[in-house]
Amino acid sequence: MELLIQRLKNTASSLPQSIVVIQNGETYTYSDLWYRVVTVADRLKCSGLQSGQTVAMLMENSIDYIASLYGIWAAGGVTVALNTALKYRDLNHLVIHCGAQFLLSDGVHPELKTFIKDGSDRSLELIDVASLVTSGQVQSEIAPIENHSEYELVDIAEDAVASIIYTSGTTGHPKGVTLRQSNLSANTHAILQSLNISQADRVMCVLPFFYSYGNSVLHTHLWAGASLVLENSFMYPQKVLESMQVNESTTFCGVPSTFNLLLNRASIANTALPHLTTVTQAGGAMSKASISEFKSAWPQADFYVMYGQTEASARITCLAPDMLDSKLGSVGLPIQGVELEIRGEDNRSVPAGEQGEICIQGPNVMAGYWYDPEETQSVLKDGWLYTGDVGYRDEDGYVFIVGRNREMIKTGAHRIAPQEIEELILEVSGIEECAVVGVPDDLLGQVLKAVVVLGQDEQVSKQIIMKYCKDNLPQYKMPKQLEFVEALPKTASGKIQKHKLV
Amino acid sequence: MSVEQTLRDYILENYLFTDDQSELNSADSFMGKGILDSTGIMEIIFFIEEQFNIKVEDEEMVPENLDSVNNLVAFIAKKSG
Repeated sequence: MELLIQRLKNTASSLPQSIVVIQNGETYTYSDLWYRVVTVADRLKCSGLQSGQTVAMLMENSIDYIASLYGIWAAGGVTVALNTALKYRDLNHLVIHCGAQFLLSDGVHPELKTFIKDGSDRSLELIDVASLVTSGQVQSEIAPIENHSEYELVDIAEDAVASIIYTSGTTGHPKGVTLRQSNLSANTHAILQSLNISQADRVMCVLPFFYSYGNSVLHTHLWAGASLVLENSFMYPQKVLESMQVNESTTFCGVPSTFNLLLNRASIANTALPHLTTVTQAGGAMSKASISEFKSAWPQADFYVMYGQTEASARITCLAPDMLDSKLGSVGLPIQGVELEIRGEDNRSVPAGEQGEICIQGPNVMAGYWYDPEETQSVLKDGWLYTGDVGYRDEDGYVFIVGRNREMIKTGAHRIAPQEIEELILEVSGIEECAVVGVPDDLLGQVLKAVVVLGQDEQVSKQIIMKYCKDNLPQYKMPKQLEFVEALPKTASGKIQKHKLV
Repeated sequence: MSVEQTLRDYILENYLFTDDQSELNSADSFMGKGILDSTGIMEIIFFIEEQFNIKVEDEEMVPENLDSVNNLVAFIAKKSG
């Protein structure tokens, strides 16, 4: 099996002058990227990185992000790309949890100054990749690297851990999804069998690479020798459309909220995209009406609906464009190498049409959660991944998702454990109880609503609670609504009846 | 109250959760400083449409018009003029 790092090395050798990244008007070739990969790898090796050691990354999508990810692999390390929206307390928890000795950054993240301030009493080496690449300081540290294309990769096994991707856990603590080199290679290869990605493609990337969907968009396009146009903000969707137009993007990948933003806040009908041939959607159900709207706005583009989760590297199923009309609402069939069953409460496969938990087996299934055997055992049983998603298959085998059986709130591209927000709000003095629920939202699918009970004779304003949240939570985890109540509705056994709060 | 002050008060109250005027510079980029997210900018659009009786077209939803208090003030003046 060809590993991702080996593949990139080969592509950089065979297509050195092909464009790999376009960002902010700058263009980078595969040769430029490989130079950066080698620079990062060499820096890490100089600093004593051992095979299998974790390296954290804190940076937005950029050429340096890609160079860091692949550079860590070239040096034999394990990547841990952190969510850049997080605040220091969460970032620090993850850095400690994954055991990283190095933190690669873009040098500008606002929380870096706190890492620097705390750096004196911990063994975490901070490396500013942007400065590293421009200074070329590494070349003189060991021996000069005469020929980057001949750079010798650290030998890594197929089943070696490649990446840890943190996702929200139901208990409120993030779980480190641990993926092997073989998981990522196999899933990349399988996605390429479903999507017709070629060297001529130029994908518009608005999804962050630190999430598994963006990560898979990155790896599949690099594997194909294609180009990536990077736009790190989707606050102004019209700008993204204009960038697609200028850069002649062939592919657009989004989650339902991305498409809702395009429909509501951009002029898709009046922005011609003649080069667009492929659209992929994953990350939750999108309304049939919205899909139809995009089909009519971009009739020349094939529309793929996909389903997956981080624990499965990224993708599990794909609905081919020619089946979109006849199977509208389905997420398609399992992709290459993935075996899928719908299982009932007795863990046995149920017949077509019957609902149950979606379970999968295949080379894309994670090794487990990083240092969390209990959580691992709760989802990996007898070689099968229990996804927590509830669905059914029709007579033709097509998969339909009907919901999730774990209590998670999905807002935009993010999954949030309500317990995490509840615990934070309870840190505010004077609050006795708190429940956080997801309420429907046209744009994001769901937004967070916090319902708060104050202690007797306590007076805590909404402003104080929201300010505390703002200081400690990323924007996407902020409650959009906050309500004070006398008491939370509960069952006789004392369990909060959250459905009554929606 | 001036357009600028109306906007400042709205943003301080609803997104920065403070009365402290020094927390917001009118030139601050909402995107760059992480003051607003995608839904926040949508809410600002609804707010200025209602407050200043203007209509923001799809093509006008760009940072040059919306991404700071100063940009909003200039945009509202242009639309109202």
